[in-house]
This record gives sequence, structure tokens and C-alpha cells, in this order.
Amino acid sequence: MADYKYDYKFPTVNDVHDQSLVYYFMEQVGKRILIMSPAFPFIIIGIILETIDDYLVVDVETTNIAELENRDWFIHIHDIEVFYVENGGPPIPKLKDGYC
Amino acid sequence: MKRCFHVVAIPIRIVLNTFGDYNPHGMMYVLKENEDEVRERVKRNPFSPVDLVQPLVIRANDGDEVEIKFENKLPFATGMHFSEADYDVQTSDGANVGLNENTLVECGECIVYNIKANHPGVYYFSDLGNPASSDQGSNINGLFGSLFVQARGSWWTDPVTGCPIKSGVYADIHHPFLPSHREYAWIFHDEMPAVDLTGNKPLDPVTNQERESTHAINYRYEPLQNRKKLIDEGVVCPDCDGEEVHHDSWVFGDPATPILRGYVGDPARIRLVHGGVKETHVFHYHVHQWFQDPTNTDSEIFDAQAISPQSWYDVNPLYGLGSLQGSFGDAIIHCHLYPHFEVGMWGINRVFNTLQDGSQCYPNGEPIEALKPLPDRAPPPLPTKKKPGFPNFIPGKVGFKAPRPPLGIVGGRGLTKIERNAAVPNPRPGAVFTDPCGFVDDPVVVEYNISAIELPLVYNREGWHDPKGRIYVKDEDIDDICSGKKEPEPLIIHMAAGTCIRINFTNRLPNVADGDAFQLVTRTYEVGLHIHFVKFDVLVNDGANVGWNYDSSVLPGETIRYEYFADVELKAWFFHDHLFANYHQQHGLFGSGVVHPRFAEFLDSCTGEEVDSGTQITVVQPLIPDYRDFSLMVHDFALIFDKKGCPLNPPEFPGSQDDPGLFGVNYKCEPLQFRLKGPDCDPAYSFSSFVNGDPVTPILQCYEGDSFRIRLLQGAQEESHSFNVHGMRWKSDRPDVESRFNAQQHIGISESFTFEIWAKRFGDYLWTFETEEDLWNGLWGLIRVFDEEVDFLIPLPDQIPPPPRTMALPECTGIPPGQPEIIDCPGPADAPVKRFNIVAFQIPIIYSDHLEKDPFGIIFALEEDMNDIICGKKNPVPLVIRANVGDRVEVNLTSLLEFNKFPFLDGIWPYPPVKEQACYPPSIRISLHSQLIDYDVKTSAGETVGFNPDQTVGPNEAITYCWYVDENVGTCGLWDMADIRNHRSLGTYGAFIAEPKGTEFLNPYTLEPACNGASVILNNPFLPVTREFVLVMYDGARLVDKCDQLIVDPIDGILLADEPDPDLVDTYDNGSRGFNYRTERLINRYVKVPNLGVLFSSKVHGDPSTPLFEAYARDPITFRLLNPSERRRSHGFFLHGHYWNSTNTDITSQIKSFISEIVTGLTRDIPVHYGAGGVLGIPGDYMYRSGNIRWDIEQGMWGIMRVHGQVQGHLPPIK
Repeated sequence: MADYKYDYKFPTVNDVHDQSLVYYFMEQVGKRILIMSPAFPFIIIGIILETIDDYLVVDVETTNIAELENRDWFIHIHDIEVFYVENGGPPIPKLKDGYC
Repeated sequence: MKRCFHVVAIPIRIVLNTFGDYNPHGMMYVLKENEDEVRERVKRNPFSPVDLVQPLVIRANDGDEVEIKFENKLPFATGMHFSEADYDVQTSDGANVGLNENTLVECGECIVYNIKANHPGVYYFSDLGNPASSDQGSNINGLFGSLFVQARGSWWTDPVTGCPIKSGVYADIHHPFLPSHREYAWIFHDEMPAVDLTGNKPLDPVTNQERESTHAINYRYEPLQNRKKLIDEGVVCPDCDGEEVHHDSWVFGDPATPILRGYVGDPARIRLVHGGVKETHVFHYHVHQWFQDPTNTDSEIFDAQAISPQSWYDVNPLYGLGSLQGSFGDAIIHCHLYPHFEVGMWGINRVFNTLQDGSQCYPNGEPIEALKPLPDRAPPPLPTKKKPGFPNFIPGKVGFKAPRPPLGIVGGRGLTKIERNAAVPNPRPGAVFTDPCGFVDDPVVVEYNISAIELPLVYNREGWHDPKGRIYVKDEDIDDICSGKKEPEPLIIHMAAGTCIRINFTNRLPNVADGDAFQLVTRTYEVGLHIHFVKFDVLVNDGANVGWNYDSSVLPGETIRYEYFADVELKAWFFHDHLFANYHQQHGLFGSGVVHPRFAEFLDSCTGEEVDSGTQITVVQPLIPDYRDFSLMVHDFALIFDKKGCPLNPPEFPGSQDDPGLFGVNYKCEPLQFRLKGPDCDPAYSFSSFVNGDPVTPILQCYEGDSFRIRLLQGAQEESHSFNVHGMRWKSDRPDVESRFNAQQHIGISESFTFEIWAKRFGDYLWTFETEEDLWNGLWGLIRVFDEEVDFLIPLPDQIPPPPRTMALPECTGIPPGQPEIIDCPGPADAPVKRFNIVAFQIPIIYSDHLEKDPFGIIFALEEDMNDIICGKKNPVPLVIRANVGDRVEVNLTSLLEFNKFPFLDGIWPYPPVKEQACYPPSIRISLHSQLIDYDVKTSAGETVGFNPDQTVGPNEAITYCWYVDENVGTCGLWDMADIRNHRSLGTYGAFIAEPKGTEFLNPYTLEPACNGASVILNNPFLPVTREFVLVMYDGARLVDKCDQLIVDPIDGILLADEPDPDLVDTYDNGSRGFNYRTERLINRYVKVPNLGVLFSSKVHGDPSTPLFEAYARDPITFRLLNPSERRRSHGFFLHGHYWNSTNTDITSQIKSFISEIVTGLTRDIPVHYGAGGVLGIPGDYMYRSGNIRWDIEQGMWGIMRVHGQVQGHLPPIK
């Protein structure tokens, strides 16, 4: 069997990346966030309530599916593909049902 | 595991319903252990259906070996051919093909078949010993069945007793890790010869003519005509007319056809199988939806699905029985083709909400058979006196029509006490026993007021009209539509996902419909709004009258309230009447709702004002690109008259269902016979707006760069149609980016498709229903993509606004346009260029070794091959050319057509015929249109369309098209669009194959480079060396025999024909057929050797004239299949002993061994699993063929792939 040698240094770049995200989200508690995820329900808009370890707790106001709204969701940061926090930039649109 | 079955093929009397209709010469497969009992029971019950007389369904697991001892007791050689299976073709093909050993057996003999089940699914089996399509054939008389292959580790029990079973159409399937589920076999079949109780052909009591041929499920059908006799005789429901109570168990009791029983929420799988011989049916299942590919959660959602002979689908209803809303009651399942539905092709999915232990009865006293709860689910509650469960709380009266639903009718009744006990906590109109909108707190509610009205519909500028059009309209539009201010069109309503929809539906139709050349006087006094896709309470809100449910239709002048829920973004949901659809659906009584993404806003495309309905709207959504939304609703059996009041294509007698009338799309048609305004009445300009003006059919408008969605639906009534868009393409499954690109879609009534397309370049694009008869009679229109702003179309808000208009919009001049001055070729400037110099010329084509030929053939050929073809060194074949992804393709097309070489110089083409024959002189211009690849539609579409330049070419002239192969789109059809009446039957088609980048093409026999030809070796540094076989499936050919006598197919090719019946075939069945300008009609072989069992044998007859593809065992092979020809009858494609992914671009897609619903424009790429010889790599002859016993196989649509085990001198092996 080959004698593989690894030269890991901890924390790894992934640990640093995750920790940075967690720190960032901790600073954004109380703000509106738009999250896109690669899996269902794909899009979430809500208020950041807190972070627990590497989970983000969001009071979800809008998703694709109305049944999932108005609930607190625990979202693992690995499931966040793209996000945007209302932080002085353009506001996240308020999406409403029932145009017609 | 090895499973063993002893199967016997026996003659049997099949009684098809409780009225005693029967097939005296039925045939079936039966397990040996049941044979004596079946025979005895049939003997004792000569006029009643016998339960054991059902198509044989046996089961095994994925990975099992199955040994079948087959015994033949029929008076001809027969066998069992299994699709999907792996087997030794020399011992277990169940056929006698090519040079193989004969695996049929004569009467009294036995044979053992060994097959391996290597993937789950339906292993359909049937006889290939007697392929006759006539009443003497075996398949038409019932000789078919299925092996259902389950997930590995499954076992199965009887749903009634809970005991293990060895065969049967119903079973509960169990598995250690997966949920138990109900499994139901639903085997459509058609054309079975049947007589009534008296031994005579059944009559329709209204017309007193013979009724429609048999359309059945599992050897049963329940025709309206039988039930109506009980009304006419005063036995039941004396105030009823007939069709409105056809499915009503309160009036008639339950039908003889399958009743699929389960409890609310039970997981279920309907194994939908087509055991018939001819028709492509449309399976529709009320209340429920399912994934088109059950292995792929990204695939399209269906609730109606077309199916061709010998094909199968798994229908796994999402959320289990009763769907998401848990709707209990009777959900009808039927073939949606209305004449088939009327003649009995329907059954019921009965969803109970209380436990059935065998102690209960239906309201008419019939016992309810016990039904075991699935063992891994909590059983439903026992019925009690206060809560007796469905159907015993419904206040109906046996022998009379079902009651109206409580709360539904405005001004109607409330709930009885016992109904109240069964109701949801907040019952309301349309939502009494199930709450369809209860999933969401305070959902958005939209309300529509809709009426059914009668008014004249004008179909075109020539005055073709339906004086008794019947349509759905919004109440607020009634005045504008009836006064002519607003053009009638199918009602399309729009809503966002998550919407609770409420509809107040009023019946404003006359309650008696007049008779005319098409129809007899009918008392259409009820009407409803039956809906597809959305969630609803089936008991009160089905817009139908089914089983023991309520009758949720409404009488004249009354209003009924419906409620539905659009739970997620769906597509277009069809709605139509379910009470008298056979009378007035084809008058236009259909519409659609479109469920858009949540938060969508709907705008009038002209004014920008908010709208909630319309066939062309603009949709704005904050999260995804804005888009245009276009709806096209095609229909046939349009009962229309010309401007003088003469009926167009009237039937032989009023009330006949024999393809009366013509066609419409959004209540319009633009027949080509009226578009000959150019010089010499040249058909080449029929689609030109310069010459003939814009068509009256929909012109779908957008700007360059816009996204748009086409909602394609069919509103009526019986026939298949083939939708094509020229110069554009879409992903076949809109939610799945891994699905293949298509530019064509087969559609049957009630099916719904969404095509998402990007308008890449400005210009006019042709959309068509491409089969000859459809196109001829006006089913086409345009997609107009503007480059500059117009004042009647708002820009999409999220797009860069179009530039202001600098050029005036073109107008009709009556003068043909010139050819394009500059050909703008897409793709990078340094792309490799492949040039093809193609010549179109007239040459006789020999179609078979029996010297059947087309003396007037027109072919496309490479210029370098023309002399060899003319001097007879090469027999013409369809042009097949290839290029690689990234290549630019330059086609130089030269026409050498001569007017005098056309068969019908007077412009009347008599055979194969079309409805509404008229003069259409042959064009001496020609063109070459390609599907799927990228080009500028204004220069290289190979057709003269709208306000685009001329892209046809006259005699001794040349034109250049430039294409760019931007994607690996595989097979693309090529065909002429200059004259679809006088050219296509003669052979003006071919194929372009887009190959992977870096591929070299080699002649399989010389290994020299070869870009063209049906058989090549593909050599690509990153892919296995592969043999490629191109099959150009065609129909509608006009051939003569060796004595120059016209061959009138299919009639002239029918084996064991009874007396000729001139009404046997529809217009679109006519013409000869096969592959690659070749045919092998079995009648020629039968005349030579009158033995059905050797018809496919090369030992007796030599190899067929159709392409003989050769490979060595385990050679990688891929088939390229296309149908660029013209007839509307759908075909299938099967390859014995092999299978492939149903979506070639998705390796996780379901594995199947067939292609179904093949009609004009279809293209498929078939990389066969494991290569030649299948997983076992067994040498032998593998038949490829259509699945249509009637009328494809015997008319020559079959051939052989020969897999060699030893190196052959003429065929170099591949490395």
C-alpha cells in the first residue's frame, strides 16, 4: 500500500471559509436576507434570527411555497449557494401574492 | 432467483361486459394451473364476464431469471415475445426472425423460454407468430400479457385476501425498505372483433348503424350505447338522455371495466400497457398527476399521456390515491379520445375512506369486496352508522341520476345530517368533503365568472364556420364576444402558484342542440367544467358525473360554484365538459388555465394593463426572466361549413364518429388550398405573407431576445397531431436541463405541454401541426420576432428595450420575395466548414426486392452520387449527412425538378388522400428545411415563410443555406417545405446528424471516410468506436407493384383479410410505409409461402428489403431514428433484445426498449445499452419494427439487425 503523506494545517481553508460565514451572519442578525440554495425550496427570504454553530436561523417570510412561510428555518451554511443581506444596498423586493 | 411459469395459449370466448358483448374467437395466455378452471367457468357463463378471463399478468423481481414453459393450443404457430428482457435470441425470442432458430411452436407443442429481468418495468409479451392485422390475427383477439418486474426484494399479495398470488391484474406489492403499494394493470387494447348477445355486430341505438369498434381495458369495455338502451326502454332514469349518465353508478351500477380500489393516501402504481394493434390512445386519470419518468423527479408532470401499441408507462400518482388533498370517491380513468371513451374505454379508481372488510354494500345492494389495508399504513376507520363512508353517505337514489352536490348550485340545497358528518370542518361550495385550499393559511383567492355559450365561430377568411360553436367565456366578455367586438378564442385563464381558484360557472347553452349533416338532435341539457391538474374534491367538484359521486354539472340557467387549488407551478391545465363532450366539445367547448410561478403578474401584451386571461400575454416575475405566454389549442372533428353552408368533410350519416369535419387551432385554420395567390399558383409561396398575407391563425409575437412559453393543448376529439416549430427548439422536459432538445411534440386530446424557448433572432418562424392533412387544412401559424419596436407589443420589462422602428413593417404585395442577399452564418468565423452540394431530382425508387417502386420519386442526393443513381449503379436512399458540433455547414441545393415528371399534373393528388381535396399544382421549386440546429431563419430555414426572403429554389437554380452545429442535438430531420402535397410522398426527406466534436465517420465495409449513408462507424478519440444506424421511418408513400398497378396500402397488404371494408381505414392510414425508401410487405411473402409462422424468416424468404444493419456482438451501436414523412397515424419503434435510456441525454432516465408516439418530425437518438447483442452479447438476428400490428408490420415497417459472432469477410471489425 502506498504511503500517502498529508500536509494538512488546521484550520483548513474550508474551516476558515465556514467560520468567516458564521461570523458574518452573526453580525447580520435582525437583517433581511435572500438565500438561494441548490435544492428545494431554492429560494428563501426572511429575517436572520441567530446563528447556532454553523446553522443560520431565519424567520422565513417568502419562499416558492407558501406552506413553508412564516416559520423559523434552520439552514446549514453549506446549503447556501448564494445570499444577499440588506445592508444598505438595494432592498430585497417584497414579493406578494395575488396580482391578478 | 429463478421463477417458473407454465403458460398456455388457448382459444377462449371473451365476454366483454355484462350486456353480453363477446368475442367468440378470443385468444389468451393463461397459467397452466388455471386453464381448466377458466375453460369450465367460461362454459358455465357464456354471456357473463369471467374474472379469470383477463390478460395474463405475472410478476418477478429485478435480477430474477424467469423460465416460461410455453404450450400452444392455438391452431397456428405462436409464441411469447418479451420486450425489455435479456435473452438468447436463438432460444427465447418468441419469434422466427431472419436466420435465427425458430422459437415459435406449432399447436400442441411446447418450448421453454428463459429470460432475465435486468431492470424494473413492464415486460410486455405478445405473439409474433400471427402478425395479421385482420380479425384472424392473434394480438387483435387478445393474445398479449405482461410480466411486471418489481424492485429487487419485493413480494406480492392478493388485495382481497392478503395471500400470495402467482398472477393477476391487481396485487399489493411489498418490500422491506420501500412502502407497500397497490399495483394495477391497465392494459388498453383495441379493434377486438366483438358481437352482441345475439351474435350480430352491435348497433348504436341512436343512429342504428354499427357502433365504433372495440376499445377496451383488460378484456372489458362499457359502451354508452348499451347503457343508453336501458334508458330508452325505461328501465332506468327515464328523464336522462344518455351520455350525461354514461359513467353514473347510481343509474346503472358499476361498470364491467376495471375498478382500481384503494384507500385514501395509498401509494399506487398503475402499469399502463397498450396491448392493442392500432390506435395511439390517451390515458387520463382524474384527480391525480405523475412524473412522465418516475425515476426522474425533474421530469414533466402529466395527468394525461399518449400511448402507442405495445408501449408501456408507469403511472405513480403523486401523493398516493386521492392526491395531495386526499380526495376520496370515484376518479374515472379513461382514454380521452372521445369516440373511444364513448364506446367504453373507461374504468374507475375507487378511493375509499373507510375500511372495507367485506361486510358493506354499495347503495344498490351489491356487496363491497373486502380490501386489505396496506400493512405499513394505518387502516382507515371502520364505517359507522353516522359515518358510513363513501359512497353510503350520498343521498342518491338507485336507478336515477346521481344527486347534485350540496352547497354547489347557487340557490341549491345544503348538507344532510349524514353528509355533514362526512364533510370537512368548513364546508363550502366546491369543497365539501375535501378541502383543496386547506394547505395554506389564508391563500390568495381568485374568482372567475365563466359561462358556456353558443355562438357562430368563423374559422377563416374563406367563410368556413361553425354555426353552432360552443365555447367557455368570462361573463364580462359575453357581450363583446357576441357583438363581434372581441374575437372568440379558447378561454385561457392565468393564475400564480399557490392560488385558490373559485369559479362560478353558468350554463347558458340551449338545452337542445339541433341536428345537421354532422350530428343528430341531442338534448345537451347539462354542462360542466371538468378540470385537469389542479387539486379538488372529486365528489362534488369534478365537473363530471362518475361512479357513486355527485353529478357536479349544472342545468340551463343555473350556476354552480367550483373550487380548486394550484399548489405549485404547473403548466396549462385543460378544462372541458364531461357531460355531453361527444356532442359539443368539437364545437369548441374547451379551455385552459395556466399556473405560473408565484408572484407573477400578467399583462396585456399590447397595452401593458393587468389581465387574467388571454391566449397571448406578457408575464412579469421579480425572480426569473419575464416571458411571453402563448397558448395554442388544437382540435379535430371541427364540424364546420363553407361560406355557402355546405358541410366540410361530413360523415356518411349524422352522428357518425368516423372522422367528421376538419381542424382548428384556437378556432382558426388557414388551409393551403387558398394560399396560391402567387405566380403560377406556386405552392412554394403558400406560407409567404408577402404573397398571401398573414394567416388568420395565431401569430405569436415577441422581440428578439425575449423568452417565451408555448402552452400546447389539444381540445378535441380523437386524433394525434404533431406540433413542430421550425428554427427553434426546447428542452423536452422543461424542468430538466438534462433532457434532450426537441423541435417536435406528439399530442393527443387533453395532453398539455409547455415549451420554453428563447427568441434568438428576429424573423418569422413557422409553427405547424406538421402531418400532411393537418397542414393542408390550415393548422399552422407564425412566431413573429421583431427586431425593432412596434406599438402593439410592450417590451419585456427586464429586457433592454428594442430600438425604435426605422423600417416600415412589411406588407403583403402579392409578389414573391427575393432570395436573401446576404447569408449571415451563425457560429465563430473560424469554425470548420462542411460543404454539401445537394441535388434534388426525379428518379424512380425501387422500394423492395418484390419490385415495388415509386416511379415518380424525388430525392435529395449528393451531387457526386447523382450520376451513379441515374445510371442505376446506386438505388436511391434518403440523404443522410453529418457534421460535428462546432462545425459550420454549408448546403448548396440545386433543383433539377421537371414539371412533366410529376404524377398528377392537374394538381389533384388522389392517393394517399387527404380530407378536403382541392387543386394544388405541383411546384417545381424545392427546399431543404432542417430541424434543431442553429441558423438564421431569414436565410437558411429552407422555406419561404411569413415576411422572410424566399428560400426555395427553382429548376436549374441553386441556393445556399448556412447552418451552425451549436449543440449535440443528434438526429435532425430534413425535408422539403416548398410543396407539402406533391413532394413529400415521393421521398423529399432525409436526415442530418449532429455528431460529437472530433468525430470521424467511416464506411463500415471499407473503413474509408464517409460523411453520408445510413450506416457508418463513428470514430471519436474520447468515445467508444460506435456503429451508427440511421432509420428514416416513413409513411404515406405511393407505390406501384411490378405490374405498375397502384398499391393501395394498407388494404392491399392485409393478411387473412376478410371481405374488404372501404370504411376500414382513415385518410391518414393510407400509403405505403417502411424505412429508408424500403419496405418488406408481408403479403408478398405470404403469397409466396402461405405460412404465417415463417413470414420473418430469412431462411424461407431471404433477407428483407429494408436495411440490414450488421455488427459484431458487443459492438457499441447507436440508432438514429426519425420520421420526416407525413401521415397522422402514430407508430412505435422496437428493437428485439435491446434497451436504452428513454432520454438519451440523461443516464438516470428510465430504461425502455421502445420509442412511442412516432409521428411527423419526431427524432430520437438511441445509444443501445451493452451494444450489439444486448447484455449477453449473443449473435443472431434482432428484429426492429413498429409496434402497430394494424397496419405497420404487415405493411413492411420492419427489418433486421444482424449481429455476427464470427468475423465476416465483408465487415471489418471495429477496434
